[in-house]
Amino acid sequence: MIETALSRRQMLGVMGVAALSVTGCGSVGGDEESGDEGGSTALKVGLVIPQAGVYAPLGVDMKAGWDLYLAEHGGKLGGRSVKLVVADEGEAPDKGVPAVQRLVQRDDVDVLVGIVNSATALGAKDVVAGAKKLLIVSNAGADKLTAGDVPYVWRSSFTNGQIGFAVGEYLAKAPEGRDGAYAIAADYAAGNEASAGFKAGLEAGGGKLIDEAATPFGTTQDFQPFLSKVRSSGAGACYCFYAGAEAVAFVKQYQEFGLADRIPLFGSGFLTEGGVLEAQGKAATGVRTALHYSAELDNPANQAFVKAYRAKTGKPPTVYAMQTWDAAALLDQAVKGADALDGDALAKRLESLGEVADSPRGAWSFEDRSPKQTVYLREVTPKGSGFVNAIEEELGSFGPAPASA
Amino acid sequence: MPEWIDANLVSILNGLAIGCLLFILAVGLSLVFGMMDVLNLAHGAVYLVGAYTAYALTDGAATWTRFVAAIAVALVLGGVCGLVLAAMTRPLARRGHLDQALLTLGVALVLGELVLLAFGEDVLSVGAPPGLDGSVDLLGRSYPVYRLAVIGVGLVLAIAVYVVVERTRIGALIRATVADRAMVESLGVDSRKVLLGVFAAGCALAALAGVLGGPIYGARPGLGESVLILALVVVVIGGMGSIKGALIGALVIGQIESLGRALLPDQASFLLFAAMALVLLVRPQGLFGARAGLV
Repeated sequence: MIETALSRRQMLGVMGVAALSVTGCGSVGGDEESGDEGGSTALKVGLVIPQAGVYAPLGVDMKAGWDLYLAEHGGKLGGRSVKLVVADEGEAPDKGVPAVQRLVQRDDVDVLVGIVNSATALGAKDVVAGAKKLLIVSNAGADKLTAGDVPYVWRSSFTNGQIGFAVGEYLAKAPEGRDGAYAIAADYAAGNEASAGFKAGLEAGGGKLIDEAATPFGTTQDFQPFLSKVRSSGAGACYCFYAGAEAVAFVKQYQEFGLADRIPLFGSGFLTEGGVLEAQGKAATGVRTALHYSAELDNPANQAFVKAYRAKTGKPPTVYAMQTWDAAALLDQAVKGADALDGDALAKRLESLGEVADSPRGAWSFEDRSPKQTVYLREVTPKGSGFVNAIEEELGSFGPAPASA
Repeated sequence: MPEWIDANLVSILNGLAIGCLLFILAVGLSLVFGMMDVLNLAHGAVYLVGAYTAYALTDGAATWTRFVAAIAVALVLGGVCGLVLAAMTRPLARRGHLDQALLTLGVALVLGELVLLAFGEDVLSVGAPPGLDGSVDLLGRSYPVYRLAVIGVGLVLAIAVYVVVERTRIGALIRATVADRAMVESLGVDSRKVLLGVFAAGCALAALAGVLGGPIYGARPGLGESVLILALVVVVIGGMGSIKGALIGALVIGQIESLGRALLPDQASFLLFAAMALVLLVRPQGLFGARAGLV
């Protein structure tokens, strides 16, 4: 009996250790050095990206974008060698904010780059405000993240409202929107902000909102009940905000339940960006989305970027990779000529940057420390053996808060 | 009334499809819990194994041969998972549900991570076999053919499982083992074999649900947890260890998830657990559960 009791306990112990080690090891930040031995002139960067959980594919793209910029510039930013510390932001702020705190307090990084989750970014804002460190957010789209009195939080990505607004304004004038539009989004901060932006844009352009729906975030496997409502609403077009697994399910079911042929689907570009487009396959054909980037953009900076990125990873770049590549480029500019590496000195440099001319997304500039940039209308189109987001037209230049402008 | 049915026909059908899939998934959980008193939290992970099996074998071209092969492989893998889980939980049989929950939850985490290591974190989709991958017109509304097929397969399986458990010698043995294991053993039957068999069959069905659910829900990290919660709610509502309960519970949950959400979209996220709470208040043992004292 004693023997079985022991083996039972041992077995439990082994299982426990195995479970802990497989789920827990992702959280340990790995040190990674590139370039020469640091010394006093090295720039210590904390890269905060999701390495586990639902956002993990975005983290992979962000890391690849960062690595590409460094590889293209001899491992240096602003003439300084870079010491990189990667931390896992996980899925939510309960993991992401402590990761940011560790980077600032234990690892004593000079600057922070990354962050996918808006709530994590808002938590990180307080941390860097206290520590006076520069943070370049390279994804999180919370509308008000960089507005306000913290001068250290900058963003190389987008705002949720900015993209939604662009679609709304377009649909107000497009023939598809003549009979009014339906708005459906996942019921969480990003979805609500995107939906609000869409409605503001639609109203600003004189369009009509037929109805709207917010689907439970993260627990909706089946969108059919909501799709039935869209179908019977009489709307001429449908705008949606979904990302990740929900984007795959929504686009596939929109096609399966016969809506794709009757009510054209529009969305914020994350709906069909990167890995999710592969999973959606031909169900996504014809879906039109707005975003400030597509790998299909035809400008010299993007052509060079796509070519180099493909050579390194074998895939076309996503918006997530581009935004982090741009964050590295911004940091390169900021560190160059800065007299110190604290938040005040670097923020001052970013303020004086003016237009960012050589970004793969096209030229853009800062407004309230977030991008004022061109938003493109893209359509999912077959190309080769797969699908791409082909550029349809430019929707115009939008600031981070177009609704209030 | 006919207008109401017409307006909600797609939701009702869809609820039926979800319900059938849930039945295939939950019947194993219910039998194992009700008959063997083992709380198997790794049941969702076995579904996940089935879903990824479907992806691995049908990637690129979902031909019938590949799809059927995926079903066969998933049944075997699921059965093996069941045997291993039965062997692992056996030493804990007298230690209460918490220890079993801890062990099987650990197994679920390990299985989930192994799948992640093998397939990465991307969301993957599984194609339906040719002929089932389109949509048909139902009273002017299109409905995916594949979901109709799932309804058919689900109902056939439900009848088959019911007949096996209620009308055959093996079924009688299973029910007898639950009722009085000592008596069955005294008749010269090795009750461990019965328990192993039920566990293996239950997990094989969960893996089968993973393959059948593939073209609807795809394969992605975290899917195992989502379906486990649904399956647990089915067992709670239907009652443990009852085939009829699992079927009715699954069909009720299917309608709540589909028709309920269509009629009350603003309460969508609460409906499922509101129904569960209601059943727990009115009939704590579930709609068709055995008397509380037995379980």
